[in-house]
Amino acid sequence: MASSQPGTGVSGLSRLRTALPFSSRDWGLLLVAPGVLLFSSFMLYPIFYLFYISLTDATFAGSVIGGGAELIGLANYAQLIGDSQFWTSMTTTWLFVAVSLVLKVFLAVGIALLLNHVRVAGKRYMRAAVIVPLGFPGIFTITVWRGMFSDARYGVFNTILGRYNEFMSSLSAPELLLFDVPIGFLSGRWEAFFAYVTTEVWLAYPFMVIIIVSALQDVPRSLHEAAMVDGAGALQRFRTVTLPAIKGPVLFASILTAATSFQQFLIPWVFNQGGPSRQNELIIVYGYREAITFNQFGLSAAILIVGIAFVGLFMYVAVRYGGLAEGVGDE
Amino acid sequence: MSLLASALALVRAKLVALATAPKRFSVMIRRAIYDVRTGKRTAWDVTKSVLMTLFGLAMVLVLLFPLFWITTASLAEGTRLFNTSGIFPDPATYNLDAYRWVIYESDFFFVDGDWGYPQLVLGGESGLVSFRWAGTDTGPGALFNSLYIVSVTLVAGFGMIVPAAYAFSRRQFVGRKRILYGYVLFTQIGAGLSIATLVALYSLFSTYGLTNNLFILGLFYAASAIPFNTWLLKTYMDNIPVSYEEAAMVDGASFLDTIREVILPLTKPGLAVVLIFVWLAGWNEFIIAQTLLRPENYPLSVELYNIATEGRFSTPWTRFAAFANLFALPVAIVYFAAQRSVEDGLSFGGMEG
Repeated sequence: MASSQPGTGVSGLSRLRTALPFSSRDWGLLLVAPGVLLFSSFMLYPIFYLFYISLTDATFAGSVIGGGAELIGLANYAQLIGDSQFWTSMTTTWLFVAVSLVLKVFLAVGIALLLNHVRVAGKRYMRAAVIVPLGFPGIFTITVWRGMFSDARYGVFNTILGRYNEFMSSLSAPELLLFDVPIGFLSGRWEAFFAYVTTEVWLAYPFMVIIIVSALQDVPRSLHEAAMVDGAGALQRFRTVTLPAIKGPVLFASILTAATSFQQFLIPWVFNQGGPSRQNELIIVYGYREAITFNQFGLSAAILIVGIAFVGLFMYVAVRYGGLAEGVGDE
Repeated sequence: MSLLASALALVRAKLVALATAPKRFSVMIRRAIYDVRTGKRTAWDVTKSVLMTLFGLAMVLVLLFPLFWITTASLAEGTRLFNTSGIFPDPATYNLDAYRWVIYESDFFFVDGDWGYPQLVLGGESGLVSFRWAGTDTGPGALFNSLYIVSVTLVAGFGMIVPAAYAFSRRQFVGRKRILYGYVLFTQIGAGLSIATLVALYSLFSTYGLTNNLFILGLFYAASAIPFNTWLLKTYMDNIPVSYEEAAMVDGASFLDTIREVILPLTKPGLAVVLIFVWLAGWNEFIIAQTLLRPENYPLSVELYNIATEGRFSTPWTRFAAFANLFALPVAIVYFAAQRSVEDGLSFGGMEG
């Protein structure tokens, strides 16, 4: 309502005003600017700076700005391509993402279906209980899992496996079904990988359950009843009624949790720092260690830029196919 | 304050619902028995329901096993946790010694548990009134570092998120769509990214002497929380009809009045969720704090990690558990009191559009 009145103000000022690319209705920009500025200076600027470091031969933190580092072009990236450690890390990371994603989807769909079933009493309380892991700090839950995966003879999982062995031997089961306890969960390559995946699935399932349950509750009961009247069995009803309803949300949650898994840092770091002997370093751990432990800032920056590029790809896919950005273009 | 009151009302409603649950449960059982007697349901039908419920219950117990284990562990100070007798400590030996250790010996509240009290000093060297800790030789501990970081994060975060969300929801301006689009790209995938940029941050900060600075770290957490929470709050504000503000304007309310009387009260649930998320951004983060800070400035999350990794084979699990529970429980309680809103906040994007 209160618009600027042309001609009444100082003529120079009004001329300046018309010359600027925005008008007085654009003052909303002022409210947004501080956040954009803070975000850019702490998140965007470091990414560009990281890219710059990746083009230098910087070895330690001070050498980037304080001199001593020279631009060497893409030499760091060339070195990466020839580095077997990089390929180990890449393969392990993608394997980690794929295996944990498949398990997550099956577990979460199972939980959501069970806790939405008409025959389960008190499902509201159970739903509230199963998403409890989401409410605890990552550093807390991950360290607890590290304790349970202890290599010790009387660690939690080794004790459970020992009990299992006793039980199976009492049934005189064949040797093949027994475990060779104690298992060094954190000191063997695939044992550690298994421990990572278990923990990752446990950390991520609540988010998926929330999303799938809210999708399931949007399916009208009449649809199920109509299918039942038509003589559809439980399996057929799942395929024709439930599956179409949850497909979209599951895809959406899959992209997001896969992106989070790809950037997983705390699990390998807390468990055994990506060990044993650097075989399980997920990509971010790999980049972090090269810089902080081995003082290879240039190389580390190149690794992390590659990681960020993949994360960017995830974000693009999420926005393009997950409909994440709907609502941006409204009004 | 009214935010706190509504949060308390929410907690009370949850507690009442929980306390009356056994009654509803017994009603349900009596109903089932009645149905079987009068032949409305067959016994097999009821058995199927019972079996499904038991199955669900078993699944919940398996999924929550780690949290149950760590809670019992925190009560077992002085006994050998990893021994032949099993996974769980003997309930007969339960004690609170581990919590006593956290309060009186660890760095949780005060360094080495040497408690002090705040004291105002009148006419000191640095101005008229100054503040210091009295009665402690070692000074405040990790809790105060955490609280300091979180306060900076909250003040900076709210100062930037709330006005920006309003502008995005109600104003048109140059670059609005572009900035919003950029925010959406960063919404869900921010956390790992900040670790990736950590290497760049570390070399920038150490050049300018900004490492080991709690204030800068708080600002950094606020920056990482901005895209998601701005977008979240914007969608909340979008759901408030513009006609409310127009009606207030017609009644002679000024622009600021509409903000104070219409927008802010109606966005309260959204503000509560943003409060939780921004708080968590500052409270939970670990690796950036550990890399940038020196031991005297470690927040609780880093102290927790240090307890867990003191020795490779001699992690003091009972003490770790007690420390972890005191660290995580307040957050978890608030989180579950506002569970419904938090769930909505987590699943809002891409679902309905």
